[in-house]
Amino acid sequence: MANTTNTFFLLMANGSIESAEIPEYDQVFIKYFFVHGQDWDKIAGLEEGSTQIGHKSIDDRQTIAFNFPLDITFKSTCPFGWPQLVVSCYGSDFLGREVIRGYGVTHLPISPGQHKIKIPLFVPESTSLLQKFFAWSQGRRPEYIDPRVLAHGEGREVTRVRSQGFLNLSFNIVTKDMKKVGYLTHKNDSNTNIGNQMIEMNNTTLGNLTQTLGFNPEQSMISQTPRF
Amino acid sequence: MAEVHVIGQILGASDFPENSLYCKWSLTTGSGWRLLQGIKEGQTHVDTPSYEAFAAWSHPIDLHYTTKGLQGWPKFNFEIWHQDTFGRTELYGYGSCHVPATPGYHELECVTWRPIGSVKDQITSYFVGGGIQLKNPELAIANSESYRLKTVSMGKIHLRLNVVLRNFDKYGVEF
Repeated sequence: MANTTNTFFLLMANGSIESAEIPEYDQVFIKYFFVHGQDWDKIAGLEEGSTQIGHKSIDDRQTIAFNFPLDITFKSTCPFGWPQLVVSCYGSDFLGREVIRGYGVTHLPISPGQHKIKIPLFVPESTSLLQKFFAWSQGRRPEYIDPRVLAHGEGREVTRVRSQGFLNLSFNIVTKDMKKVGYLTHKNDSNTNIGNQMIEMNNTTLGNLTQTLGFNPEQSMISQTPRF
Repeated sequence: MAEVHVIGQILGASDFPENSLYCKWSLTTGSGWRLLQGIKEGQTHVDTPSYEAFAAWSHPIDLHYTTKGLQGWPKFNFEIWHQDTFGRTELYGYGSCHVPATPGYHELECVTWRPIGSVKDQITSYFVGGGIQLKNPELAIANSESYRLKTVSMGKIHLRLNVVLRNFDKYGVEF
């Protein structure tokens, strides 16, 4: 029934980093990374990059629009390690030095379709008030050495952060062969599978039934939904 | 053997009296379940929000289970703790919620409660800080002793979970 030679599936994600809402700061640019597990391979697109420097809108909305396109395709055998998008937003402080304004992380959506996601942004906090003052004056704020650690969640228990702002993302997700490999990612899948099973069962028993009952059961199947 | 993937994040918490919060989370399952990949317990960072009354954790969850039966479907258990400006921590709530049994994307809100004591305990905690907590956190999950517990409701935990299922249709399981 299933194609047993097919063991991998593809995930195609495109979309954009639409806008950021960070009340305190005027201009920000974003560096993004796609982080995934060991079973995953990127087969097309850019795994990391950087957006333009966006300035806050000069009206009541106070949003920073990026409209930065993302496009990436992965291949995998197992949903474990599903790709995540990690973003780091940097801005300039009062002396023009680049400081971190927010980190955010989210999984790529799993089910095919269009998704709009809003993620919170947070910044690591200095340990003490004195360190906070030095960070402010020298422009060396606490930051993650590698933002990719945010995708793993380990070791976070010793950090303190401050959340400020949100990022709006939109994704279009297309998957190939997930059903063939056997994974259900949204509810409609399950009905189709049962439907297919019932149709198959009917097909194999049709021959027997025609002989024993003397009529063609196909004519009695009024609707598509299987009857138990 | 059927497989279940739970992929998503513990997004954050809202509606608590104070907002400097962190969460200790874990997943419990029945005996027929086996965790193949992923970490089933952890602790988020402490977040102090600047504007919104929403502590943001964005803590990733990625678990791969295999199972022989439907009993003991995975369940999240949460303990929300508050860290004040002096670095002291106090318990702010217990909560638990099941992983949804339908494949797809789910946004969940898990409500939390914390035990309250006598009037004397409440006055003490008002002036000194801190509060009472369960000696055995398992009591938050188990049901047999709950009737003796007096609790007050606290805020909500927000989760964004995706559930991916495999091979359940071979056993005739419907969603």
